[in-house]
Amino acid sequence: MNNLIITEDIMQEHEVKGYFEILRESVIRSRLTMTAVFFKVANSSQGTNIDPNQVNHQISAFLKSKIRKTDLLFQLADGMHWGIFFLQSSEVEVKAFLKRIFAILTQEREYQQIELKASVTEIRNNSVNFETLLDKNKHKLADDEQPTWSVEQVTDYRVQPTEQVKVSIIEQNEIFRKVLETTLENLDIPHYTLDVSTYEDGYSFLQSDSYKTGHVHLVVMNDILPRKNGLEILHILREMPNEKKFIIYMMSERNSESATLNAYEGGVDEYIVKPFNLRVLEAKIKQTFARFWL
Amino acid sequence: MIKLSISLLLTVSGVLLVVLFLFTIYILVQRKREIRFAEVRDTFLQNSAQHWYNYLINDEIFSVVLVPRGRSQVAAIETIFSSYLKSISNEKVEHKIKEFSNVYLKKFYEKDLSSKRWSIRMNALYRIADFRIEALLDTCQQFEKTKISEEEYFQLLKIYSVFQPELFIEKIEESSVSYSESEYRRLFALLEDDVFIRLFEDFNSWTTKIQFAAIDTAAVKRNMQYIDQLKKLLTHEMPEIKIRALKGLYEIGVIDEIDPYVPFVTSDMWEIRLMVAKIFQHVPLNYTYAYLEQLLQDENWWVRSQAAKTIVEKREGIAKLQQFLESSNDPYAIEMAQETIVRKRGSK
Repeated sequence: MNNLIITEDIMQEHEVKGYFEILRESVIRSRLTMTAVFFKVANSSQGTNIDPNQVNHQISAFLKSKIRKTDLLFQLADGMHWGIFFLQSSEVEVKAFLKRIFAILTQEREYQQIELKASVTEIRNNSVNFETLLDKNKHKLADDEQPTWSVEQVTDYRVQPTEQVKVSIIEQNEIFRKVLETTLENLDIPHYTLDVSTYEDGYSFLQSDSYKTGHVHLVVMNDILPRKNGLEILHILREMPNEKKFIIYMMSERNSESATLNAYEGGVDEYIVKPFNLRVLEAKIKQTFARFWL
Repeated sequence: MIKLSISLLLTVSGVLLVVLFLFTIYILVQRKREIRFAEVRDTFLQNSAQHWYNYLINDEIFSVVLVPRGRSQVAAIETIFSSYLKSISNEKVEHKIKEFSNVYLKKFYEKDLSSKRWSIRMNALYRIADFRIEALLDTCQQFEKTKISEEEYFQLLKIYSVFQPELFIEKIEESSVSYSESEYRRLFALLEDDVFIRLFEDFNSWTTKIQFAAIDTAAVKRNMQYIDQLKKLLTHEMPEIKIRALKGLYEIGVIDEIDPYVPFVTSDMWEIRLMVAKIFQHVPLNYTYAYLEQLLQDENWWVRSQAAKTIVEKREGIAKLQQFLESSNDPYAIEMAQETIVRKRGSK
């Protein structure tokens, strides 16, 4: 059995568990991906004359010097693994980080006794607990035949949960309202389900109370509407305390600079001049939702 | 005193009652027809809306259900097509509407053009242009030879501008009817770019209304192709043309060189100086500041106000205005600079 070599100046496994649970929940709430990386000393550097305690210290110091202030570095209780939680980072960024630090470790003489392998887990949902995460990654790194500097992957937690989005279409023209409704109902946005409602005027939208729920709410409306026009609705929605949940697309027949500026200054996310291309509208909406998750 | 026999009075009232009865029957029948027309139209609208969506947007194959049977169904299709064309820009959709109209709506509008009612003829002319029913161009030319109203002739010009631009230019040249600027703008807005630009080739031969409308339409179209044409007009002898050309260039918003605009900084007309101050919004401040400082000290309030606005909207604008405040002796310019800085800070 290996001797446990614990480095005292970085966080330890038991201290990190509580943090992890908070971070995991904020992944969902803030829609920010977190990626965990686990390192293990590669087999070839074990069993040599080099003092393992010294190597351990060196690895800890090296990793500590390379992470950002928002990243959380810790050592596992077995003393042979290190973990880093990269907040607001996807697997792609973390792989680039690994490539960079592995290049430094292989090229610089002072680190010649360090040889590592890593395992990466991108986390986009909250169905993972700390112990399972450690077990899965340890298991990935357990194979002694794995080459040095190899990067393994745990892909079990990379699928983000499906989120319900409310969509309100406020358009006076019945035919075009139906066209928009059909288009948005058929719109396939990965990880989002759209719950589409239509209104023929501003007043009926405000009466519906559907905008008072906590869901992300996409509002596609005309600037000119009977009984409360679009600009009034825009003002009402942007005055609400949770106004950030509204994504507001305003359609207009006016293509003037002042009308466009006025709408953007009022808080619309997109100002679309009629006639417009439905495919472009779909692409814009998809892109809006794609930006939600890092 | 006139003596009327009872039998005569009874006869007259009887006749009147019969007339009234017939008239009531006529009104009721007409009303019934209108209700029936609306019912058929609305039912067709309801039943075919999804088919139309599938055909126009989802590229599904054409279905015979879409072919109109009768005038009420044509009215429903008019509503559908107008809604699509007004809100959706898509070449495929426009092409499908054009193809369909040329085959299935042509005969209805052809008949409408020979109607005795002006409103029916006008509606047909509108639809021919909107749905691009080119197959009726000859019919339209024949229609022009009949006794038609000014409004109908205007619609015909719109149709020519879409289908036969050459003929349109000819008609405009020889036209005995003079339209307002806004009417000319409506006509020019439909022209393809290559035809529209020809209005600038022999610019001075047009009437002033056409000239003004051509410049304003170029501004609305915001096409970079028209920049050179508008720049040529900056040396035009008529000040109104110069002002409108400057306005058009401002609207297009692409200023590739400032030299053509510099002489206008010292123009005698404040409207021209105002437009230059606006145009300089599209140029980096280090090229224009010296001129804008001059305009900030202009005798006209509008020019001073615009110059200050143009400066303050730039990144280093507030600093420049503050620098100006320290060095200037002009109380009006100082007041304007101070006001503009305060307003800008307030809006942040």
